[in-house]
Amino acid sequence: MGSLFTEHLLTVVVFLPALGAALILLFPRSLEKEAKVFALLVAIADCLISLPLWTRFDLAQKGFQFREQVDWIPALGISYSLGIDGISLLLVLLTTILTPIALLFSLTHVEKEIKGYSIAFLLLETGMLGSLVALDLALFYVFWEVMLVPMYFIIGIWGGPRRIYAAMKFFIFTMAGSLLMFLAILFIAIRHQAATGVWSFALEDLYRLSFSGRVETLLFAAFALAFAIKVPVFPLHTWLPDAHTEAPTAGSIILAGVLLKLGVYGYLRFALPLFPDAAIRYAPWLGALGIVGVIYGAFVAYPQHDMKRLVAYSSVSHLGLVVMGVGAFTTISLQGSILQMINHGLSTGALFLLVGVLYERTHTREISAYGGIASVVPVTTALFVIATLSSIGLPGLNGFVGEFLILVGTWSSPHRWWAVAAATGVILSAIYMLWLVQRVFWNPFRNEQNRSLRDIRPSEFVAAAILVVLMVWIGVRPNDVLDRIRGSVESLRETVVSKQIANRAP
Amino acid sequence: MTPEQMQIVQFTRADFVAILPEIILAAAGCLILLIEAFVPNLKRWFSTIALAGIGGALYALVQAPYGTTFGGRFETSPLTLLIGLFLGACAALAVLVAKPYLERAGEEKGEFYALLLWGHLGVSLMTRGLDLLLVFIGLETLSLSFYVLAAFFRGVEASSEAGLKYFLTGAFGSAFTLYGVVLLFGAAGTSRLEALARPGLGSSPAVAFGLLLLFVGFAFKMSLAPFHAWAPDVYQGMPTPAVLYLSVAPKGASVIVLYRVFAEVFSTGLPDKFRTAIAAIAIVSMTLGNVVALAQRDIKRLLAYSGIAHMGYVTIALVVFGRDALAAVIVYFFAYLVSNAGAFAAVSALYRDETKAHPVAMLAGDGRRTPFAAGVLALCLFSLAGIPATAGFIGKFFLFKAALQSGLYTLALIGIANSLVSVGYYLKVVYILYMRDPVDDEPPPALAPADRLALALCAIGIFAIGIFPGTLWRLARHAAETLPLGP
Repeated sequence: MGSLFTEHLLTVVVFLPALGAALILLFPRSLEKEAKVFALLVAIADCLISLPLWTRFDLAQKGFQFREQVDWIPALGISYSLGIDGISLLLVLLTTILTPIALLFSLTHVEKEIKGYSIAFLLLETGMLGSLVALDLALFYVFWEVMLVPMYFIIGIWGGPRRIYAAMKFFIFTMAGSLLMFLAILFIAIRHQAATGVWSFALEDLYRLSFSGRVETLLFAAFALAFAIKVPVFPLHTWLPDAHTEAPTAGSIILAGVLLKLGVYGYLRFALPLFPDAAIRYAPWLGALGIVGVIYGAFVAYPQHDMKRLVAYSSVSHLGLVVMGVGAFTTISLQGSILQMINHGLSTGALFLLVGVLYERTHTREISAYGGIASVVPVTTALFVIATLSSIGLPGLNGFVGEFLILVGTWSSPHRWWAVAAATGVILSAIYMLWLVQRVFWNPFRNEQNRSLRDIRPSEFVAAAILVVLMVWIGVRPNDVLDRIRGSVESLRETVVSKQIANRAP
Repeated sequence: MTPEQMQIVQFTRADFVAILPEIILAAAGCLILLIEAFVPNLKRWFSTIALAGIGGALYALVQAPYGTTFGGRFETSPLTLLIGLFLGACAALAVLVAKPYLERAGEEKGEFYALLLWGHLGVSLMTRGLDLLLVFIGLETLSLSFYVLAAFFRGVEASSEAGLKYFLTGAFGSAFTLYGVVLLFGAAGTSRLEALARPGLGSSPAVAFGLLLLFVGFAFKMSLAPFHAWAPDVYQGMPTPAVLYLSVAPKGASVIVLYRVFAEVFSTGLPDKFRTAIAAIAIVSMTLGNVVALAQRDIKRLLAYSGIAHMGYVTIALVVFGRDALAAVIVYFFAYLVSNAGAFAAVSALYRDETKAHPVAMLAGDGRRTPFAAGVLALCLFSLAGIPATAGFIGKFFLFKAALQSGLYTLALIGIANSLVSVGYYLKVVYILYMRDPVDDEPPPALAPADRLALALCAIGIFAIGIFPGTLWRLARHAAETLPLGP
């Protein structure tokens, strides 16, 4: 047992939720309510088990840590190979924290098909964690695609009125990108075999390959497309507002909190170091699309009537900023982008959660149906305001640190004007978010029924409060997080730059 | 008599051991018919006898030593062994599903099992024969048995129609095959396959035309477009357990036969004209199957078109032509077996009135009403769509790997685009299962233990191949070495 938690910690963290899901499958139908609690307990246990990843993470070591490796399909050199660096460490923890929060919120709000709901969420967690820790491209692809299935069910069964359309669109869009990536993965592995005579899908082996210009561009395009759809980068974002609007609250929390980040993560882990020349050549496009996303998302968020849709478009805007930071590719902007992914997960997760709290009471997300409820639901209001301030980057909260680093890092890159353009997005986000808060919580009463609104329940409060604590913590002590990213970002840049030089040498 | 003819007359012990599996199958079929005629009370043991026959045949196949018998006309090899396992598993699943199905339909007749076993015998002969005549006899044994099975519900119009249609198109296809056999016989002077390996034969027009006709004949059996038109109608009218078998096993056997024949004539690789023609058929099959499947409202028709598309993917491996590609085909068919047979097993279990149509809409709400059968159906559909961690993904993985490795980028891209299209209709069924309210108050029939077992086996198979494909790939790669192919 001892070695299970020391040598196979990642395996335990990744597969504990799947094991829980398998057990729930055996629950008789009379124990549906218990299934929900059991799922929550599994998610909490997984979160606690994942904490040693944070404490035992070795800051001095630059490569991957907590490695595990077992042959999987030896004939093709495919192995079950896991490991994390600072980037995946943070996203793994974000996942293990957000999943129990989403399930805690669902505790009081999901009544239909509870067994299936719990199973879907736990399988989704395994899929997300697996894609974050896999260091073998075939293994990564398996986890990456497996995520789609539970999310399809979560949107399609427990979603809003247009859930079928949204679920289908989500699935087809994501699958379209992934399938091209699938061919690209096979192609790279075949090239590796042709070059070295050995089959391997291991990331570190494939990093050593280099491709001629046109081939590299095509491969890069296949990978970048898959990840850009997931993020989503403008103009591939159209599935996101639909998916978010229709998904149940817990689904939105996970979707915004983790799933979208996997796009950026995939770009950093795979597309960038595998095809550095193409990545750097097309970085201006990436940055430009990021900026378009920042501004477009903000302008579309502004006139929305539906709170959830507004927050969804704000995600397009915020992730545009993250993408721009990646495109600028300085150590500072990359750190900012990675930190901002975590921040966005926390703040948007909290916003979706609190919108869900209001929705469960009034069954409407129309902004015009609210107004003046600050005095009726003071605790909800306070939490919402903190989440908003974090989202718009108020100093002292986490969002500020991330945005600041991205902008400063971009300013010091060759693309100085990007920072200027993106800064307007930061201002715009303050406008539409604060206007949202004003219309929902302040302004005069518009709906008399809202006078008897019930304030936040204890379980909802705990869920939101955890997020708020994390926002303040990162806002006050950002170095706790940045220390863990720094080494990984530096080694990522080294990999890319050294490979670029090597490619030019002959 | 020439020495060669003498060899046929002498029936040695080795010959007997080699063909024992087929003898067992034939005998089990006869036994069932005899019991039905003389001891009708033992009706409920039919499926057990059939399973015992299939199991006994498999045992005999495993025990048979490798080598050729009947004067080099009959093969026992790693290839026939692995394919035998595939075919036997398919037949066993069909029998398992058949018992509750026939009980529900009130048609518990012995001839169903007997015909299934004899059809299975024919398919087995196809894969083991090293003589074109033997292959043809196998093909006809299969066809004749299944013409009758298609028209099994005599009083039902759709079933009679299926029987007639299958008979007409089947006879048409057989004629092509036979004509091809004759041309090859004329060119080689013997119907034995190894004679086709004679140098220079590959460039003879008679051989080329013969091979083309042979390919067309088997393309009928595989339901490759444009020779597919029979499949949707026949699937719709034929008893579902028979469709389960017909939609998987004969198609696998046909690919093996084609590989065998082509490998003899062209050991180094197919000539370009052949490649182009086969690639065109692969593209048409994939695209037509998937696009037309999008518009289907009947689950059996939908699965028929899905099958047409899947055979299109498989045909890519025929274009690639090599050991790895053959191994990929074998893996693909094992994956297709567990997914497609599972889907038909679920269809068999989920519909109440066997003699009526099977509209997809009737599955609405079954995700809640019969969670197990619906869950396995959804799993099978995800596997057919090629979602990772299921068998279907592994099948596509090796297939597309083989295609890319031999530089068939366009074909691979078209295949991938088709996979995306297929997601559309597979997901539609999943959506109806889980996200729509039931259309009728009467729930589907209670699951029989045999149905449950068949579904569970398919689900286990899907995950076993999907998560631990290493062993299967090794076996398939080893089996592929039986044929004289390039890498």
